[in-house]
Amino acid sequence: MSNQKKRNFQIEAFKHRVVVDPKYAEKTWKILEHAIHEIYNHNASGLSFEELYRNAYNMVLHKFGEKLYSGLVTTMTAHLKEISKSIEAAQGDLFLEELNRKWNDHNKALQMIRDILMYMDRTYIPNSRKTPVYELGLNLWRDNIIHSGKIQSRLLSTLLELVHRERTGEVIDRGLMRNTIKMLMDLGSSVYQDDFEKPFLEVSAEFYKVESQKFIECCDCGDYLKKAEIRLNEEIERIAHYLDVKSEAKITNVVEKEMIANHMTRLVHMENSGLVNMLLDDKYEDLGRMYNLFKRVPNGLSMIRDVMTSHLRETGKQLVTDAESSKDPVEFVQRLLDERDKYDKIICQAFSNAKTFQNALNSSFEYFINLNSRSPEFISLFVDDKLRKGLKGVSEEDVEIILDKVMMLFRYLQEKDVFEKYYKQHLAKRLLSGKTVSDDAERSLIVKLKTECGYQFTSKLEGMFTDMKTSQDTMQGFYANHPELAEGPTLVVQVLTTGSWPTQPTITCNLPTEMAALCEKFRSHYLGTHTGRRLSWQTNMGTADIKATFGKGQKHELNVSTYQMCVLMLFNNADRLSYKEIEQATEIPASDLKRCLQSMACVKGKNVLRKEPMSKDIGTDDAFFVNDKFTSKFYKVKIGTVVAQKESEPEKLETRQRVEEDRKPQIEAAIVRIMKSRRVLDHNNVIAEVTKQLQSRFLANPTEIKKRIESLIEREFLERDSDDRKLYRYLA
Amino acid sequence: MKKEDTVKLISAEGMEFVIDKEAAMVSQTIRNMLTSPGGFAEAEHGEVTFPEISAVILEKICQYFYWSLQYSRGKETDELFSFIIRMVFLSGRSTYVVRVLALCCIA
Repeated sequence: MSNQKKRNFQIEAFKHRVVVDPKYAEKTWKILEHAIHEIYNHNASGLSFEELYRNAYNMVLHKFGEKLYSGLVTTMTAHLKEISKSIEAAQGDLFLEELNRKWNDHNKALQMIRDILMYMDRTYIPNSRKTPVYELGLNLWRDNIIHSGKIQSRLLSTLLELVHRERTGEVIDRGLMRNTIKMLMDLGSSVYQDDFEKPFLEVSAEFYKVESQKFIECCDCGDYLKKAEIRLNEEIERIAHYLDVKSEAKITNVVEKEMIANHMTRLVHMENSGLVNMLLDDKYEDLGRMYNLFKRVPNGLSMIRDVMTSHLRETGKQLVTDAESSKDPVEFVQRLLDERDKYDKIICQAFSNAKTFQNALNSSFEYFINLNSRSPEFISLFVDDKLRKGLKGVSEEDVEIILDKVMMLFRYLQEKDVFEKYYKQHLAKRLLSGKTVSDDAERSLIVKLKTECGYQFTSKLEGMFTDMKTSQDTMQGFYANHPELAEGPTLVVQVLTTGSWPTQPTITCNLPTEMAALCEKFRSHYLGTHTGRRLSWQTNMGTADIKATFGKGQKHELNVSTYQMCVLMLFNNADRLSYKEIEQATEIPASDLKRCLQSMACVKGKNVLRKEPMSKDIGTDDAFFVNDKFTSKFYKVKIGTVVAQKESEPEKLETRQRVEEDRKPQIEAAIVRIMKSRRVLDHNNVIAEVTKQLQSRFLANPTEIKKRIESLIEREFLERDSDDRKLYRYLA
Repeated sequence: MKKEDTVKLISAEGMEFVIDKEAAMVSQTIRNMLTSPGGFAEAEHGEVTFPEISAVILEKICQYFYWSLQYSRGKETDELFSFIIRMVFLSGRSTYVVRVLALCCIA
């Protein structure tokens, strides 16, 4: 149809609402400004959120965001300036309260403002890269209030004043402090650090410097440490209550430095109350406190350790070189054990069993135990004493404990082979005289030694035990085969393998005829079953039980050594015998004979013989009679058993010589072992390796090693290198 | 419905929509209004007036709130868009769509 108008569909562009009112922006802003005023004056209850939000939204939408933002800044700044005046006007203690109150108000107002200006926060601000509203509020607070000239210094001094008051014992308002500090933290960690923390740490350092000086003049070590601990805990508590957690490490550092680190040396060496006195008096609590406090300070613990080590070495050295204690080996070792127990307890209770302290203890003991060259012998004697009688009636666990402690001392010895020699001797005597208290204890100790030093160390000792057992079986076999001997004297023979037992020189001794016949029978029986062996009688180690009837008819059973038995049996055939006659008949060497006669004639209570003249010593012209007037309360009388004693000087030298002799082949074996694997090695390294290998047995002397090398070169096990005199080569 | 759990949304014409607070809180703006410290009038009386939103739009907005609560756990964006398109055609005043979106802070 031609009349129809064409309708054009126009698609209009998306238009914003046209700003009709030129002063629109100004008007809208005025509304918002008024609202902000009301908010700050706590009059917000009448306002409509929706209206304000809408207005802010519109301003931003119509590109007036800039105006809104700057207006906000100006208004807030103005308000804050007023607030700062009112805070400055506050008097004395009310200052902090006023500050806190105004801070809370500001916070609340800020949140409200942020809520209404939320749209601007989300659109205008990210686009123009300005600070968001909330952060802006905090920054303005910081700049206008906290950093305002009058308030800044006053705030700091008030806070520090309060802390100082609390340190001197007053009670302060902790809630107020906490809120104020939290305010500083909210404003930014740099504000907290610069405006409070740094000066706080400085003032604290000053305070503690003065206080520590005061204390150290008037207190003794233990008290000072108590006070330091109290102060430290106080500071930690203070942090927990109202300061930033991150400050804890810093303030504790300050306290530690001022109160502990600066006075460490003086405390430790304080007279009558320092570390050494604490150690001597077993003051566990004080020591524990010192340990905990010094642990916080660099070098604290090492100082304690060093002082303890030097003190321990001093006391140990005195103990060990003291002539008095050397007289009684059991006493000597017991004192060492007591000393070790004491320090073990201290380390356990006060130093929380720290490894470094244990090591210090061990090294000190190792140092002074080896200062006395008789330590190995004494330790062996101590064990001997315990195994003979000391452990009677002691329970199994206690036995183990004592043996373990002895093992600890054993570990400290450098010359373990000396110990081995003495132990072997003492063990032999114990076994042969049947004097050990508990077989189990003996074996247990052997096992411990084996764990410590290896099989080689204890193989011979175990051999000794095996010999004893075998001998029992042999005796049973002997009497089973010879039933006719059941009525005669009972013979008990211990067959000892030469290698296992300590070497003894064979001494002559004429046995009485009855005994001699019996011994021969045994010898033929034994050699009948074991061919190719040689038996030799060790008469100096035997014992005998003989029944004696004296003048008045009193009967006694005498327990004597073999020598003594020989002598006494002579009196069966004669009433009077001179020394010379006895000597001829028995063929016992002079010194042993004299000793044996002395124990029978001169000792009160055991004088089964009478001597003329009645002197203490045995002279070659003395005459002996049976003492008919001999009396004793007991039926069984023990005379002169062979007891392990501390060696006399010549014996000691002899043993030491033997030890040295034994060491030579061991050194040589070590050298050969090393050279065989290395083929070529220089002198210093050889010495080092040999010392290391032999460490578990003894401390090798370099000169001795050198001598052994020379000897090996002579015997063509090694040769010197033709070019380098210091180099050795192994010859296959 | 208890009084404390509800808010009243009032349109430009004066029509009142009483809905659950939880539904209203879907909108961040309304949430700020009601929870802002300082006692604005809205929070005190539990009423929010929108002088520039018509009743029709406000109705759709309330429907959106409830729909959002129901379906926001399994986000199905096709549904969302179709809902908005439906709403645009309904209103004819596109500026209000923008307002609503701003109100609900979907962006």
